[in-house]
Amino acid sequence: MTIEADIRREASDLTTQHPVITLKSSEFRRTREQSWKELERLVDAAERRGVRMLSPQELNRLPQLYRSALSSLSVARAIALDRHLLLYLENLAMRAYLAIYSPKTSLLEAGEHFIHAFPAAVRKARWHLLIVFIAFMVGTAVGFWLTIDDESWFSTLVPGGLTGDRGVASTRQSLLDHEIFAPWPGWAVSLGIVANFLFSHNTLVGILAFCLGLAAGVPTILLIAYQGLILGAFIGLHYNRDLTVDFLGWVSIHGVTEITAILLCGAAGLVVAEKILFPDRYSRVDSLAMHGRLAAEIAVGAIMMFFVAAILEGGFRELVASTPGRFAVAAATGVGWLAYVLLPQPGETR
Amino acid sequence: MSATDTAGSVLRRDWRKRREIVTPEGVPLAVELAEFSERAVALIIDLLICFAAAIAIALAFLFLAVKGLGGIVFVAILNLSIFFLRILYFIHFELSGRGATPGKRVAGIRVIDRRGGPLTASAVIARNLTRELEVFLPIGILLSAGSGGWGNLLAIGWLIAFLVLMFVNRDRMRAGDLIAGTLVIVLPRQRLLGDLVEQRARFVFADHQLEAYGKRELQVLEDLLRRPNDVETRELLRDVCDRIVRKIGWTEPLPPADTALFLRDFYTAQRAFLEREQLFGRPRADKFDAASKRE
Repeated sequence: MTIEADIRREASDLTTQHPVITLKSSEFRRTREQSWKELERLVDAAERRGVRMLSPQELNRLPQLYRSALSSLSVARAIALDRHLLLYLENLAMRAYLAIYSPKTSLLEAGEHFIHAFPAAVRKARWHLLIVFIAFMVGTAVGFWLTIDDESWFSTLVPGGLTGDRGVASTRQSLLDHEIFAPWPGWAVSLGIVANFLFSHNTLVGILAFCLGLAAGVPTILLIAYQGLILGAFIGLHYNRDLTVDFLGWVSIHGVTEITAILLCGAAGLVVAEKILFPDRYSRVDSLAMHGRLAAEIAVGAIMMFFVAAILEGGFRELVASTPGRFAVAAATGVGWLAYVLLPQPGETR
Repeated sequence: MSATDTAGSVLRRDWRKRREIVTPEGVPLAVELAEFSERAVALIIDLLICFAAAIAIALAFLFLAVKGLGGIVFVAILNLSIFFLRILYFIHFELSGRGATPGKRVAGIRVIDRRGGPLTASAVIARNLTRELEVFLPIGILLSAGSGGWGNLLAIGWLIAFLVLMFVNRDRMRAGDLIAGTLVIVLPRQRLLGDLVEQRARFVFADHQLEAYGKRELQVLEDLLRRPNDVETRELLRDVCDRIVRKIGWTEPLPPADTALFLRDFYTAQRAFLEREQLFGRPRADKFDAASKRE
């Protein structure tokens, strides 16, 4: 309607003495303006109420109008000198692009996606995992040999916060009573352990190992090896008191999960380090963005494992007060994690 | 100093940093990066919402469940529910199709994929869990009573390191954005204003009069003509008009009342001229470019 009115006015102008100026960009704008406004209306609605609330006809129109807005933008860039028009079209195209290409994923779908993505990510990082595993085992062996020969190494290797009242002066009986078969501390303390899992020593170490991947990975390996040293020193201390098996049971009930989680964090850190050091044909930032998600998926899974470990430690460790029972739980968790990572997911082709 | 430079200093400047993404259709689009202040406001709003919800949950638990467990249990439940709430909250809203939490919507910002692809679930999960490491973990260490001087020092250094990272990279990415390959942008709503082109020109300009200026001057004039009509604008318009008259050698009488009309006609003629030149493969970026092409 307005177009026709304009043309009529133009025609009447021809009779007056003023010359009529016709701009290509103005003509272009006049012919396309209606479809831009229609797209703007749809995008407004989509931003306010979500794309899902549009009617089927509107949903049909949206991508068509989006494509035509993109082509308008390309034309305008070539012929128009009207800055406001360019900015408007750019803004409109961007908003329509986001309305069309943004994910509409529910939390449930995201969780499901993650449950499938985690084992796949772990499998992709198997070589990184092997490296941190070797570093950890070497650390454990060294810590063990050092401590059984000279127990002063125990206090050197193990940070003060972790020793508790254990140390060179501990006797076999005190270790049995206060550590391995200590009575259950009650609900409040158990719950406290679970609630503070994110701030427990091992979770912090895991997260630190992951983040140190940004520093090219060597600190990650050193940190993991150091954790091995600590574990080795503990084993050595108990070995000298003939408590090796009981101690391993005490540690493994949650340790299988927890140490695996630490190693996974370390492996994720190494993935980050590798992509920064060897970006292939991409820029380092792009390379990191491409593979950072893989590392993040592993790290997220590891954090969930720390949570499970905290439940095992807070709830089960003292309740299952027999060494064979503890080994049984530990074996069950180990087999469970392995099966989860190694067995193909439903619907997955391998 | 020419007229356009004086005018340009008064006009609104584009102070936002711009980046380009390429849509799957292959069209490059400019995006504007969000400011740190906007992101901070969004984060604070979101955290307040999460905190309120977590307190409600912990209180409800305390009333419904066992009596006599007291403070430790309350704090434990509060801790856990805050942790899970904020993770689920951020991931839920950033995946909901708007790419923004309520706080981000208030601040008018949102998350996009840096390379122009769709924002994937794993990217959103990655960027939000990294926030745990960047912000909440060190704050948690600082708040927890058990840690000594060393731990606090480490936590503060940690916080500062990640904060600095955000300031030193070009795209204002925090570590989570870096790992997930995302950007945080502002997305204002731009409305289509009228075309400034006059259909019937009262003032007619010859080609040699239009050769003095280029695209930049034209767009400054456009901004000027789109300003709200107040005293300052009228003064600016008169000033610019005088300079144009001098530059192009306009000799006919020009009453002050006709200033705006004259400028609009000049804008129309100038744009028509420059668009034609551009179509013939002779674009003029600014007046210096125009001067070099006049020979």
